Amino acid sequence: MGKTLPKTLLFRGYPLAADVLLQARQINKSYPGVQALSNVDFDLKEGEVQALVGQNGAGKSTFIEIIAGSLRPDSGTIILEGNTFPSLDPSSSIELGIQTVHQDNQLVEELSVAENIFLYDLPTTQLGFIKYSDCDKAADALLEELGIDIRSNEKISRLSFIEKKLVSIAKAFSRKAKILILDEPTASLDKHGINILFDLIRRNAKRGLSVIYISHNLGEIFEVCDRVTVFKDGLKVGTHQVGDVSMGQIVREMIGKASESLYIRETGGQKSDKEPALRISDFHRENVVDHVSFSVHRGEIFGIGGLVGAGRTELARMIFGMDPKDSGSLILEGKDITPENPYDAIQKGVGYLTEDRKDDGLMLGRPIYENISLARFAKSTKAIMNLPEERSGTEDISAKLDVKTPSMSQLVINLSGGNQQKVVMAKWLYAGSEVLIFDEPTVGVDVGAKAEIYRMMEELARQGKIILMISSDNPELISVSDRVGVMRDKKIVKILEGDQITEENILLYSMGVDEGE
Amino acid sequence: MQETSISEKRKKGISQSLVLVMMIVALAIIATSVNPKFLRIGNIINIFQQISVLGIVACGVGMLLVSGHIDISVGSQVSLMGVIIAMVIQKVLGLPEGEVAPWRQALAIPLAILITFGVGFLLGLLTGTVVVKSRANSFIITLGFLTVYHGLALLTSGGASYMLFGRFEVLGRGRIFGVIPISILFLLGIVALSYVILRYFRYGRFLYAIGGNRKAAYVSGINTDKTIIKGYIIVGLLNALAAVILISRVGSALATTGDSYALDALASVIVGGVAITGGKGTAMNIFLGVVLIGLIGNALIIMNVNPYIRDVVIGSIIIAAVTISQYTGERE
Repeated sequence: MGKTLPKTLLFRGYPLAADVLLQARQINKSYPGVQALSNVDFDLKEGEVQALVGQNGAGKSTFIEIIAGSLRPDSGTIILEGNTFPSLDPSSSIELGIQTVHQDNQLVEELSVAENIFLYDLPTTQLGFIKYSDCDKAADALLEELGIDIRSNEKISRLSFIEKKLVSIAKAFSRKAKILILDEPTASLDKHGINILFDLIRRNAKRGLSVIYISHNLGEIFEVCDRVTVFKDGLKVGTHQVGDVSMGQIVREMIGKASESLYIRETGGQKSDKEPALRISDFHRENVVDHVSFSVHRGEIFGIGGLVGAGRTELARMIFGMDPKDSGSLILEGKDITPENPYDAIQKGVGYLTEDRKDDGLMLGRPIYENISLARFAKSTKAIMNLPEERSGTEDISAKLDVKTPSMSQLVINLSGGNQQKVVMAKWLYAGSEVLIFDEPTVGVDVGAKAEIYRMMEELARQGKIILMISSDNPELISVSDRVGVMRDKKIVKILEGDQITEENILLYSMGVDEGE
Repeated sequence: MQETSISEKRKKGISQSLVLVMMIVALAIIATSVNPKFLRIGNIINIFQQISVLGIVACGVGMLLVSGHIDISVGSQVSLMGVIIAMVIQKVLGLPEGEVAPWRQALAIPLAILITFGVGFLLGLLTGTVVVKSRANSFIITLGFLTVYHGLALLTSGGASYMLFGRFEVLGRGRIFGVIPISILFLLGIVALSYVILRYFRYGRFLYAIGGNRKAAYVSGINTDKTIIKGYIIVGLLNALAAVILISRVGSALATTGDSYALDALASVIVGGVAITGGKGTAMNIFLGVVLIGLIGNALIIMNVNPYIRDVVIGSIIIAAVTISQYTGERE
């Protein structure tokens, strides 16, 4: 729709000092080894809804935290209503009327709506007792003013998701918000909830509220925002009126210049005319994964792209039998091998390299060889282990993956991230898995080890294994996958093949464009 | 860099057993210098006979703790089963005055032992299943069971003691060739069995894996719940064996006869280097921990120190051992 509000329309392109509520000038922030923000200029007008977009690590969150006062910039100034601040702290930021509504619900479930709204400053009698009637009355007045239809004495735990979100916003308003920062406000909301939220935003923007709106969903941004600012690698690329720019252009700005290929495959995926070997058929669970089906050939690396929260890991866990599902079957060459639990999955030749190796991939305090052999022993039925075979088997496989360690008895905790990841990989190879699901296989892995992991995946594909690779690293998806399925909002929205596999396409489909431009 | 860290690690692995041996030797030297009787072969055998029950309980607790799960109800389990053995024997044989039919003579002991092992299995199954299904901390759950089993022991015994009148002495007091107590053979057998399980059996590896990272073990295809329940069953069965030997040695059973073994076994296992969070520990070191804890009790008596100080010492050792391992253990 892109309806702009009269006030912003009036001053479009001619920012007047009186019109600008918040200005950030030359903001810099660095962390060891990373320049999170460099010389960022930003301005927010009164009554404006401005979107912030950018890929993961672009600097949006850092910037927001600086505005909200929870981070100090290294240099730069923040000008709010003509007053200049070198930095803010959380309480002064709130005092000045800046309020953040976080993605996750930060309400106290067991308290009432009114108590939650005024939690920071409950009205009390002289003896220190809470004056509930005052509290409820004030909350009712506030909710009515905002046009939110929720009873103030209701317990939070009895509210629906959207109602909780609205209460969070009301809470922000209760402290005289002039600037409202909304971080992914529509995550997990359905269409109806989104409409209620947008309505609230529009009405209050008309009354002069300024909103900084962070979202990955370009469709929403074009619907509710006036301007959009693009961040890329800690730099502000530009700010546009939403009416003057296309989604494609914004995506291109987010990507910047095409990054060089990470890795060049020696062999393309076998373009066999044969029937696909593995069918992932109708995996579904209400609100988690939405009827996902696709097929993969033997020797193929099938990439799964999309934004964090699109349901990719949830899908993988369902396929592996870790999470409950309403429906879904895994068919390998006509045989139903749907795993019921991880034990069953391993018996049936499915392996799952999880996204967080420290959380559920490795026993950090145990030696390398024990980590590698674990799934194989779980698969076997022999009560007594063949230790010499374990020794030589794990040694062979770790040599093949080039795990850099002086000894197989080394504790995994002493290895680098890349070598740790190779140990997890070695575990699944040693278990003899036919179907391998790699979830973010190169997170926290150095460049050298990355290339070795890709080479190994390619080698496995050549051996006829079936590989699914979930990745948020788009250049990785492009250079390693034969095809890429893009997930958005719990379903696969597009399967990209051949020349279609570009960073731009992956991002476009991830962020809410249904068909190519 | 990596090279040195490895040799350090290896040194640490060796030093764990070495430190334990050195502490045992030091304690022996101190005790001997105060009272030379300490080193007499009779006293040494006596010590081992005393620790055999503790050692058997500790092996179960230790293997379970390798998986990161604790059982502090073991003392009341031993007490409860002790009462059951003595009760069964008394019910079958009656009081010593009366005539006893030969079939009763033949049946009494095997039946008592069989029932005890049956009860041990059930206690382990119950405790383990509740720990796993409740998803709660095993310490708290087994604290509850400690009280439940204690109550059951009181109910079974009616608060009184069952006497055996010397009718079941062979396991606890019997000696081979008149020298080596049979109970010591059981202890060594169980230690050897624990060693084999932890080192050569898939099951033992699963215990380390669950203690090392339960989620990773689950994702790697280990049935973690079943493995843990089995661990509690092993503890129950070893407690049954310990109860049989203990009651045979003591000759009577009270509702509290085995209570002290909970703390002592835990102390032995922790001093023996099993990490309280799991994933670390060996049968050899558990055994050395048992010897050390057993020695402390004996040495205090031999040195004529007030024996009540023993509990103060044991308690302090647990606190010290856990604290030291917190500071020297690997951190993420």
